[in-house]
Amino acid sequence: MVDALVEVHRVLAPGGILVDARPDSRVPAYAERRKPRGFQRYGVVNTSRLELANDRASDRAISLVVREGLFKRTRGGRFWHRVPFSDLAELRKYLWEHLRFVHRAEWVVGVATRKHHANDQFVIRRAVRYELLEALPSRI
Amino acid sequence: MSSVANDSVGDLGRHVPALSSALRPHPLDELREWGGSPLVRGKRVLDLGCGDGRLALGVARFATRVEGIDPDPAAVAAAKRNARKAGVRNVRFTAGAAQHLPYPDAAFDLVILSWTL
Repeated sequence: MVDALVEVHRVLAPGGILVDARPDSRVPAYAERRKPRGFQRYGVVNTSRLELANDRASDRAISLVVREGLFKRTRGGRFWHRVPFSDLAELRKYLWEHLRFVHRAEWVVGVATRKHHANDQFVIRRAVRYELLEALPSRI
Repeated sequence: MSSVANDSVGDLGRHVPALSSALRPHPLDELREWGGSPLVRGKRVLDLGCGDGRLALGVARFATRVEGIDPDPAAVAAAKRNARKAGVRNVRFTAGAAQHLPYPDAAFDLVILSWTL
């Protein structure tokens, strides 16, 4: 990752901007049922251990290139994004196949409630973080 | 600077399938969160880990020129198809690795790593 960031610095004009945007694994995602007005939380979806390790490695890589004086952090933030599913089975299939999340949600509603609303529309609401970094002139 | 380059800790885009972009935020929603069209307007943009071109094509209308690069040739082929379908002319897609970018120094004003790092 660091060597890629060094390449990014090379191809960026001085003062150019690097945008780093990715899912925010520091906060959990949520499985929610779509209601006529709003959403009802059905479960918590944690990030897989492998992806947590990858995200920490990405954070370290960014910190390193900032420390080395290649980039300067200028602005950052977080927003929420909803991934829609036609029913609960589709959401479960997504979790089972998706590498970022653990394969099963931690449900906060009982089995009967889940069964009752299994054909409703569901979403996974997850946080996306972003950071803007300014390329500093090379010191060489 | 070479000490930074030697401290590689992994490959970009290894664990997230590039073609899963349909499940990601709309490019304009993402752009709005980052600061909106002024961030891209009139700029030379590189979308690193472009996948099927979702973001590159989304921001192309504001940019002078957009390059997209991805290690997955299938994703790049899909991006080229999507560009043709959308009639976008100022975008070019290339297969390649982030560690060896086929561009000259200072070629871009903005580099986007969206769901890539």
